[in-house]
Amino acid sequence: MSLFRKDWTPAEADDWGINDWIAVIVSPVIYVLILIGGALSMLLIPAGFVLLGIGIVLLVVLLRVIDPKLAAVSRGYEEKQKHYIEELERKVKWED
Amino acid sequence: MASFTFLDWFWLIAFIVLMIGSGVRFYRLGKRSESDFFLAGRGLPWWLPASSVYATHTATDTPMWVSGVVYKFGLAGLWYSFYAAWCSISAFVSTKIFRRSLAYTQAEWQSMRFGGMSGELLRGWVAGWQVFLNMFILGWVGIAMGKVCLYLFGWPLWIGLIVFSAACAVYVLAAGYWGVVMADFQQGIIAFIVIVIVSMWGMHAAGGASGIVSRLHELGEAGKLNPFQFTGFFQGDFPVAWFLTMLVIGILGGLGMGTAIDWFPEAQRIQSARTVRDASWSIWAGSALVILRNAIWAAAILAFFVLHPGLTEVKEYEMAWFRVGFENLPAGMLGFFFAAIVAIHISTISTHLNLGAVYITRDLYHHYINPKATQAQLVRIGRIGTLLLLLGSFVFGSIMENITEWLIFALWIMAAGVWLPGILQVIWWRFNGWGYLTAWVFNLVFSWLVVWVLPAFGVLPDLRDYQQFWLLMLLGALVFIPVTFLTRPEEMDRLVKFYVMSRPVGFWGPVRREAIRRGLIPGGER
Repeated sequence: MSLFRKDWTPAEADDWGINDWIAVIVSPVIYVLILIGGALSMLLIPAGFVLLGIGIVLLVVLLRVIDPKLAAVSRGYEEKQKHYIEELERKVKWED
Repeated sequence: MASFTFLDWFWLIAFIVLMIGSGVRFYRLGKRSESDFFLAGRGLPWWLPASSVYATHTATDTPMWVSGVVYKFGLAGLWYSFYAAWCSISAFVSTKIFRRSLAYTQAEWQSMRFGGMSGELLRGWVAGWQVFLNMFILGWVGIAMGKVCLYLFGWPLWIGLIVFSAACAVYVLAAGYWGVVMADFQQGIIAFIVIVIVSMWGMHAAGGASGIVSRLHELGEAGKLNPFQFTGFFQGDFPVAWFLTMLVIGILGGLGMGTAIDWFPEAQRIQSARTVRDASWSIWAGSALVILRNAIWAAAILAFFVLHPGLTEVKEYEMAWFRVGFENLPAGMLGFFFAAIVAIHISTISTHLNLGAVYITRDLYHHYINPKATQAQLVRIGRIGTLLLLLGSFVFGSIMENITEWLIFALWIMAAGVWLPGILQVIWWRFNGWGYLTAWVFNLVFSWLVVWVLPAFGVLPDLRDYQQFWLLMLLGALVFIPVTFLTRPEEMDRLVKFYVMSRPVGFWGPVRREAIRRGLIPGGER
């Protein structure tokens, strides 16, 4: 299965898989690179620009890996959302 | 003390009118329904809640907090601000789960996840705690503004505390969350631009980037440029053990809900996004901006350090970033800078006014007192709740003296004992409401004992904050895990409904199999 697959069905996208694992590993790494790379770049230290550059590349990877899957989850869920909201409003009534 | 020219006052008044006006403009949308007053009708594209996440977490006290740790520890001090990293995981785990639950608040989510008496007790407990916590946050952010005004104009603390929060309440009362999020968008832009301008200006005054680096070497403080400059594994002010604890708390915390006090405003923004995808990216991008902002601040605070080395009083150096601006910007720009500080301030105040009010309205009034309330009544209660929070914040603010001490207590301790249960409730089907409720109650007892009472009587040595975290987590687990196994699991019907709607990750095998057996989700290999 390609990591950069775009044609997820909502049912497939609902299950946790390798794309999700990659997202939760890469995502905090990007934050670290923004934090350290950003501060060092402000001080014009060359390592900072390298770290920021790696962070941007990883962000593109993150988008390619997880966004199509998120889009499929959204698509499937929004079809059911109206019914779920009605159910929620009924359930929150204390006296029911 | 600052001296304002006509141009300074012009900037300030123009910005305040713009900010309040942009919020009030959404009065008609805000009053339509409970969903509009608190979630902007669940219809926002990702960049609006993202800018609100960023603006909310850029408060008046935030540059003081970042200044305090970066001045003291250099770039390594930035790790203190890395808690926002929980969003990097949450965006793809708990954000998705929470958005799909459609709960207005975390308290409401508790009663969807846990049933019966324990679920209801948890809902009431979390709602009450959130009303208190939002009032508390409003007080500490408010008094930070009081300090800024005292430093700038010599005003008594209460003026800064009251005047700007009251001005902000105008548009929160009028338009609810619509006003909050729309004002946050323009406040976020103003704040980010000013943070960049002021930081660059301060760096220029300190000799530019290369001047700061060489001056740090001359002062024998080059280590402040090393983000990984620790003082040993357990020894010194800044040990590796603290760093690892922070990473665990920040990053793994994203698997759960309520693992950081920041979860609660984020939860409102998650529900206001128009789709699950928008919710995920809004949290991710908003927090990425927070991280980037901290990086920019850090450079400016190092500029302040080389201009004013050797300060030892926290009260002096926690004002570093503000002083960078006020001591170096030219006349006519001071008002611009102060207006941005006002923007920073009221974006946080507006969020917590509306957030506290949603717990009063949705979880206390609508759920327990008047389930048949009309939409107009709910909006009215939302406004009354907003006003109560505003008044309560003045009381809290007036009794709060040391911001940093309170922040450390809030960040480390108030979340320590419920950090693990906050994760377990999302990833483990067997964890039940009684276990979670027990964790909450005992955390309050244990945290005061471990932090204040036992050390005062010499029963426990004074522990470092990261040691307190692990101890509190262990003590809590010794109570809530036995309680979980000694009480019944949640009813399978409730768990299946929750699973099918939210699709949580983790240890949900029996519930998943039951959902497949009932034909509610497709079967097959996982």
